[in-house]
Amino acid sequence: MIGSTGVAASSELRQRLADLYAGYDSALDEGEYERWPDFFVEAGIYKITPRENYDAGLPVAMVYCESRAMLADRVVAIRETTLYAPRIIRRVMGAPSLLAIEGPELRLAQSFALFETMLNETSTVFLCGRCYDRVADDAGTLRFAERICVTDATNIPLSLIFPI
Amino acid sequence: MAPMDGLGGGTAIRRWPQEGIGRIPNWVYTDPAIFAQELERIFDGPSWLYTCLEAEIPNPGDFKRSRLGTREVVAVRGEDGAVHVLVNRCAHRSMQVCSANRGHVKEFMCPYHQWTYSLDGKLMGVPFRRGLKGQGGMPADFRLEDRGLESLAVTTRNGVVFASFDAPNETIETYLGPKMLGYFDRVFSGRPLEVLGYWRQRIPSNWKLMMENIKDPYHAGLLHVFLITFGLFRLDQKSSTEIDDETGRHGVLVSRRDDTQATNEVAQLPQFRDKLTLADPRLIDPVREFPGEPTVVMQTIWPNLIVQQQSNAMAMRQIVPFDAGNFDLVWTVFGYADDAPEMRERRLRQANLFGPAGLVSIDDSEAMLLSQSGIAAGEDRDCIVEMDGREARDSHHMITECGIRGFYQHYRTVMGL
Repeated sequence: MIGSTGVAASSELRQRLADLYAGYDSALDEGEYERWPDFFVEAGIYKITPRENYDAGLPVAMVYCESRAMLADRVVAIRETTLYAPRIIRRVMGAPSLLAIEGPELRLAQSFALFETMLNETSTVFLCGRCYDRVADDAGTLRFAERICVTDATNIPLSLIFPI
Repeated sequence: MAPMDGLGGGTAIRRWPQEGIGRIPNWVYTDPAIFAQELERIFDGPSWLYTCLEAEIPNPGDFKRSRLGTREVVAVRGEDGAVHVLVNRCAHRSMQVCSANRGHVKEFMCPYHQWTYSLDGKLMGVPFRRGLKGQGGMPADFRLEDRGLESLAVTTRNGVVFASFDAPNETIETYLGPKMLGYFDRVFSGRPLEVLGYWRQRIPSNWKLMMENIKDPYHAGLLHVFLITFGLFRLDQKSSTEIDDETGRHGVLVSRRDDTQATNEVAQLPQFRDKLTLADPRLIDPVREFPGEPTVVMQTIWPNLIVQQQSNAMAMRQIVPFDAGNFDLVWTVFGYADDAPEMRERRLRQANLFGPAGLVSIDDSEAMLLSQSGIAAGEDRDCIVEMDGREARDSHHMITECGIRGFYQHYRTVMGL
C-alpha cells in the first residue's frame, strides 16, 4: 500500500496505486517490455527528459511518446531494429509519493536510480532522477495518463535504451 | 616553433600507411601524443569552431556556455549587439567566472576575488587595486586593459556562431566554400530559429569516429534497420556524398526519400524487415519543407560540427573531445521560430530517432563503442576505407567512403602526417 502523504485517499485507492506501481516495476524489472504499454491509457504520454530541459520548459525529450501505440513501437525497435552492446540496467525505484488528487486524476512522483552493467565490466551508476506521474481510472483499471521521467544528469553515458 | 611532424607516442615515429587516404592507421584513435597535436593544430588552430546559435543569446547580456576542444568558453551578446566568445577563466587566479549553462548577466564577476569584466571581456574593476589605507594593492604598472578575459575571434552566418583561438585568414563563407555554403544556407536561410532543447552523451571513443560516421552513407543503409525498414534512408535511393572542393574537410550526405519499393538487393539484406509497420505512424510522418529533392542532408563542418536535417528533425551536434578515447556529443535540437504548432510537434516526435535514446542514433553510439574496442585490439593495424576508390571526390551514390577520405586528406595536411 502507498503510504499516506497527507493527501486524503482511501486505503483501497492507496492499495490500487501500489498494485499499479508494483505491476509496472515488475514488467520492466523482468524485461517484459511487451507488457509495458498496457500500463498507460490509450493516449498516454511518456517522456524521458533531462532536468535541464524540464526546468527551462524546453519541450524536446530523449524519449517522447504520445500514445500507447508509440510505446509499443519503441518496444519493437528495441527488440527488432536497434543495435546495442549487451548490458543489464538495474532499476531501483523509490516509494511513490501521492502528491495530490485533481478531479479524476492522481498526481504522484517516484525517484529512481539506474545501475548499468556492461558485459565483463563492473556495475556503475547509470542515471538517477524522479518521475512525475498522472494516474487515471481507465474503465475500472488505474493506468498512467502521463509519466515524465526527469533525469538529473543531462549527460547520458553512451545510450539510453530501455524504458524507466 | 611547430612540433616535429609525424612524431607521436614518445619513441615511435608515426608514419601514415603508404597506401594513402584509403587507409586509416588505428593509432590516430588512440595515441595521446596525436590527440595533443590535434588540440594544438585543429582545435586551437585556424579552424572556425561551432560555438552556439544566436537564438540562444538574443539580447545583450544573454550568455551560453560552450566547450571548444578542451577549453570552456562563454558566448555572450554585448551591449552593442555583437557576440563575444570569452574563455571562462579569470585573468587573476584562473577561476571559472561563469558557472551556469545559460542565463543573463550585466557583467561577469569572478566569485573568488570579485574581479569584474564587461560583456566584451574587458577587466572593469579589481577590489582594493590601490590597497586599503595605503597598504597593499597591485603594483603601479598593473593595467586593467592588459588583463581582460581571453577573447576569441568570432564570426556568424545566418544565426550560427563560430569562434577561433587562431583567427583563420578566411571568412566563414570562404572556409565553407561555395558548395558547402549552399547546403548550410538551405537550413540556415536567415529564418529565425527556436531552440527546442538539449541532449548530451558521453561516448567512449575517439572524436573522429563521430565525423566519419556522418561521412559514411554505406553504413547508414546497412546498420540502421529502423531507417531502412521505414524507408527513410535506403541504399537504393537517389543520393550523393559531396565534399568541399578545396580541401575535402567538410562534407554532406544527401538523400531523397521516395515511395518506391526497395530493390531486390536491398530487400534481401538480412536486416531488412518488410513485415514491420508502425503502430503509431505519427512517430515519423515527414513533410517536405525545403526546396528541391533532398529529404536528408547531413553536413559535417570541420572540425566540431554536424548539422542534422533528417526529414523534419534538425539538430546541431557539437563534438567536444576529452582525450583520445572519449568525447561528448552535445545536441542542440531546433526548429524555426515561426513553425506552426503541428510542425513543432512533428519535430519533437521525430526527435525520437536521434540523441542518446534515438531509435537510429543508438546504433551509431554503440557502433563507436565497439569500434574503439576493436581498435584497441590492433593499434598497429589500419582501417580500410577504399569503398568506391582511393581518392577524395564527390560520389552520386551511397556505396562509397569518399567523404571519409576527404576528411583524412585534410587531416593529414593539418597534422603533417
